[in-house]
Amino acid sequence: MLFPSDTIVALATPVGTSALALIRASGPAASTLVEKIFARPPLPRTAQHADYRDAQGILIDDVLFTFFSGPNSFTGEDCLEISCHGNPFIAQKILADLLTQGCRSAEPGEFSKRAFLNGRMDLSQAEAVMDLIHARSDQALAAANQQLRGSLGRHMADLTTRLIKTLAQIEAYIDFPDEDLPDENRQSIDREIDILIKDTSRLLATSYYGALLREGIKTVILGEPNAGKSSLLNCLVGRERALVSSEPGTTRDYLEEPIIIGPYCLRLIDTAGLNPVPAPLEKRGIEKSLEQTTQADLFLWVIDATRPHLDLPSAFSQRLTVKNTLVVYNKCDLSVIAPSPLPLTFPFVRISALNATGLTALQDVLVEMAASFQVNIGSEVIAINARHAQALEQAKKCLQAAKVKLAENSYSELLSSDLRSALESFAQISGKIDHERVLDELFASFCIGK
Amino acid sequence: MGASTLLLTGNIDTIAQMSCNPAIGGQAKGQMVREIDALGGEMAINTDLTAIQFRLLNESKGPAVRSPRAQCDKKAYQFRLKHTLELQKNLQIFQATVTGLIYKNGRVIGCQTNLDIEFIGRTVVVTTGTFLRGLMHVGQNKNEGGRLGDFSAKTLSASLMEAGIELQRLKTGTPPRLLGRSINFTGLQEQKGDPKPTLFAFHDTRDHEDLFHVEQTGERRLGWSPGSEQASCWMTYTTPASAKIVRDNLHKSAMYSGEIEGVGPRYCPSIEDKFVRFADKPRHLLFLEPEGRSTNEYYINGLSTSLPFDVQLDLVHSIPGLEQAVLLRPAYAVEYDFAPPTQLFPSLESRKAENLFLAGQINGTSGYEEAAAQGLIAGVNAVLKGRGEDPLIIQRHEGYIGVLIDDLVTKGTIEPYRMFTSRAEHRLLFNHGSSELRLLEHSKLHKLISDNRLCNISKKLDRVIYWQNYLENTRSSRGLWAEAIRRDKEVALLPTDLAAESPEIREEVLYRVIYSGYLERELRQIEKLKHVEKIRIPVEMDYAAIPGMRRESALKLAQFRPQNLGQASRISGVNPADISILMIQIAAQRRATNNS
Repeated sequence: MLFPSDTIVALATPVGTSALALIRASGPAASTLVEKIFARPPLPRTAQHADYRDAQGILIDDVLFTFFSGPNSFTGEDCLEISCHGNPFIAQKILADLLTQGCRSAEPGEFSKRAFLNGRMDLSQAEAVMDLIHARSDQALAAANQQLRGSLGRHMADLTTRLIKTLAQIEAYIDFPDEDLPDENRQSIDREIDILIKDTSRLLATSYYGALLREGIKTVILGEPNAGKSSLLNCLVGRERALVSSEPGTTRDYLEEPIIIGPYCLRLIDTAGLNPVPAPLEKRGIEKSLEQTTQADLFLWVIDATRPHLDLPSAFSQRLTVKNTLVVYNKCDLSVIAPSPLPLTFPFVRISALNATGLTALQDVLVEMAASFQVNIGSEVIAINARHAQALEQAKKCLQAAKVKLAENSYSELLSSDLRSALESFAQISGKIDHERVLDELFASFCIGK
Repeated sequence: MGASTLLLTGNIDTIAQMSCNPAIGGQAKGQMVREIDALGGEMAINTDLTAIQFRLLNESKGPAVRSPRAQCDKKAYQFRLKHTLELQKNLQIFQATVTGLIYKNGRVIGCQTNLDIEFIGRTVVVTTGTFLRGLMHVGQNKNEGGRLGDFSAKTLSASLMEAGIELQRLKTGTPPRLLGRSINFTGLQEQKGDPKPTLFAFHDTRDHEDLFHVEQTGERRLGWSPGSEQASCWMTYTTPASAKIVRDNLHKSAMYSGEIEGVGPRYCPSIEDKFVRFADKPRHLLFLEPEGRSTNEYYINGLSTSLPFDVQLDLVHSIPGLEQAVLLRPAYAVEYDFAPPTQLFPSLESRKAENLFLAGQINGTSGYEEAAAQGLIAGVNAVLKGRGEDPLIIQRHEGYIGVLIDDLVTKGTIEPYRMFTSRAEHRLLFNHGSSELRLLEHSKLHKLISDNRLCNISKKLDRVIYWQNYLENTRSSRGLWAEAIRRDKEVALLPTDLAAESPEIREEVLYRVIYSGYLERELRQIEKLKHVEKIRIPVEMDYAAIPGMRRESALKLAQFRPQNLGQASRISGVNPADISILMIQIAAQRRATNNS
C-alpha cells in the first residue's frame, strides 16, 4: 500500500443546506468504530438505524449508518457513513466525537486521493483528483487564512511566541551546559506555563466554533415597550417562554432562549422595552439590555406598525447596521400606518406575532442573515474549527503535563518534551513551526558561546 | 569495507590536527561521537586513548541529553590518528595539495595536485576544512591560509565552480594560545574531570585487539586505562577593563570594520560580539584548557577575537590570572569557501558532479564531530557508489548523524552549522548508551565493524530486550517489576540476575523501562511519518508539468530535488496539499509504466 493506514473523517455534505448531514470515515478503524459507537457488528452495505452516543455515552442524535468493507468502497478501504439530522451542531458534535476516538480530519480531497491510490479510479482521473486537491486546499487555505488573519491568528502567533520563549529558557540549559548563564528559574517557567494554560483555555472557550456550538448566534430583540418583542420570542420558540401582557414594560430583565432556524442555532435574547422615560425599575432592565447588545451578533428591531415609532437611544442605534439588523413590523393584522423613515435602510418583514402570520418570511430572512453573517466561511470551515479546538485541547493537556513535571522536579528533557508537543499542537493551527526559532530565541536572550 | 583508498593531504603531519580547542564531545556532539563509534569510526577510541580529562555534561538534565566530553592531548590525538591511518589496510597516504578535480562527461574521475601528479579514482571525497580560499584576519592584518602556519587551497574553488557548484563564504574564529607557566593559577577556580570517566567508545562489545589495534607506547602499560590520569581546566572572567579595551578598539576589529564578509556562528561569538550584543552583562566566563601533557600551551576558551595583536595583548592582561601571560599564538578569524549543502544528495554526493562527495566544513558545518560524522558517511557512500550499491542514509529518528545530514541537505545553513540536542525532534531516543544498538542494522549491513563486535552487539541487544520484557511481565513483591521501577524511581532493588549484567546493559534496560511511555510516544510519531520516507520520487520528475501543483512548490522541489516524499515534505514552502498532489503523480506514473 502506498500510504499509511490511519482513519480519516469529514463532513461529506455542505453545511447548512440539507435536511440530512452525511459524515464519512475511511480507514482501518471504521469497523471498530461501528462496534464501539453502535455496539453492533459491522454488516457491510446495510443501512442501520441506531442511536449515536458519544464517548461519554451521551445521546447526540438518532442516525442511519452504513458500513462498507474494503476494497468494495469509495476509497477502497473500510468506510463508515453516518447520516444524522441536518443541524450542523449535531454534525459537528459527531465529528468532534470521532476525532476524540482516534480519527483524523481528512485533508482537502483526501478521500478521492485514497480512492485513486487504491485503484478505485482509473488513470485518466488522476488529473481530476489533483485539481480537486488543489481547489479544495485553496478553499480551505483561504478560509483558514481568513481566520488566522483575524484575532485567532494574532492569539496563536502570540501563544506560539511565548511558548517558544519558555522552551528556549529550558533548552538553553540543556544545550549550553558549560555556559555562564543566570541560574535556571523554574518558578518563572511555571508562571509562564500557567499563563499559557489560562490563555489557551480562554481561546478554547471563546473560539468561534466553541461559542457557536454552545451558544449559537447571539440575537438581541429590541424595541419600544409593548411592541411585541416577547410575543415574537414566543412565536419563534414555539411555546410560551416569555411573560406577555398588553401592559408596556412587562419584561424588566432579559430572557434568553436558543432556537434552531434552518441550519443555524440562534440564541434569542428578549430585552426590556426601550422606554424613553423609564420608570425606576425599568431603568435597570434597560441597562441590562444595553449590556447584552454589546456582544450581539444580530438584532431584531421590533416596531409596532400601528403607531409612529420613536428613535432608539443612541447607545443602541449606533450598534445597528444594515447587515446585522432586521426590522420587524409587528401587529400587521391591525390597521397599520405608513412607517416613518428609519436611520438606515434596514431589511424588514411584516408579521403578526399574535396570529403567527409572516413568520415563514421572517425565518427565511433570518436564515439568510445568519448565512451572510458567516459569509466568509466556506463549507470546510467548521471542520477546521473543530480541528482548532481539538489541537488547543491537546496543547492544553501537554502544558498541564509540563506543570506536573515542574512540580515533581522532573528532568528538563521531559519537561521540554511536553512543551514541544504543545508547540506541535499549536502548529496544527498556525502552520509549520521551524525549530530554528527556538535557537533564534535562545541566542537572542542569552549570551552564549565560548 | 575493503576498498582501495588514497588519502591526499597537504601536510601529513597535520592529519587530525585540532585547529580550535582540544576538546571532543559535549552536548549532542558527545552522542554523535558514540554514533560514529557504532559505525566503525575511529574518533571515539582516539579520544579515549588520548584524553586528559573526561566530564559527563548534563548529568542533572536527564539521561537522553547526558553528553560525554573530553579534553584531549592535542599532539597525542593527532599522532595516534596518523599512526592508525598508516597501519590501516587498503589505505595509502600521500602528501600533495589537490589543486583541482578532473571531470569527464560531468563526472569526477580524479584530481590534480601541485606536484603535477594526477590521481584517478572511481569516487572522490573532498574535505577542505577552512582551507578553501582560507583568509586569516588579525585586526587589519591578513594572511592566506586555513590555519595559522598553514597554506590555503586557492585553485580548488575554481575547479568546483567549473562543475556548477555554487560557493559562499563563512567565517569562524579562534582565541589566543598562552604559555602555561606565565599564568597565575592562584585564585582561579579549578575544573576537575569526573573521578569515573564516561568513555566514548563502546568498550564492552570490543575485544582487546579491537580496542588497541594500533600499538603505541603508553596504551598498553600495565594498569593504564583511559582517564586514569586527568588534568584540570581553570575558570576566569573578563573584567570591566577588558570591556573598555574591546569597546575602545572595536573599529580595529576585522569583523567590526567590515573586513570580513563571511557569516560567523552565533553560538561561538567573538568577544567583540559578546560585549556589543550583551552590553549589560558585567563579565564573561573564560576557560583555560591545557593543550596536552607534553606542552605548556593553554587555550583560552571564550576569547575568540579578530582584534589586532597589540589590543589582544592588553585584553589578555586585563584578565585575572593572565596579568603576566605570554601569548604564543594570536587569536584570529578565518574566512573560507563552502558549498551550500542543499546542492548535495543525502548520501553527501554532489548533485552537480557525479562521484564527487563533500564532507565537513565545505558543507557549512563547524566542529570536529560534525565533520567526522560526515566524513564517515561520505566515505562509506563513496565506496557503495563505486560498487553500484544503495547509499547509507541514517534517518532523522535513528541518530544525530541523521538529523545533521538531513538538516544540511534539505534546509541548508547560513551560519557554520553545529549540532544541538534541540535540533533533534526525537532526542529522547538518542541517549548516548544506545548508539550501537540503534545503528546495528547499518553497521551489520555494510560490515562497518568487526564480525566479532557485531556479534557482541547483537547479544547485548538480545539481553536488553530480554530484560525489558522480563521487567514488564514479571511480578515482584512490589507489583510488576517495570511499574515498581517507574513508580519508585528506585533502582537499588533489581532482580539479582539483572544486577549481575554489565552496567551498559543494566543502564539501557532501566532507561527503556523508565522512559517507556515517552519512547512509545516517539515511536508512534515516527511510525506515522515512516511511509512517506519510503515513497521514492523518480529522479526525472518534471515538477513544472504536474497539474494543480503550486508554482512556488514546483520551483522549490525542482531546486532541492528530494529523493522521497518525506524529504519533500520537510522543504520549507512546500505545503501538504502539494505533497498529496505529488503522491498522486507518482502513483499515476507508476501505474502508467505498469500498464505499458
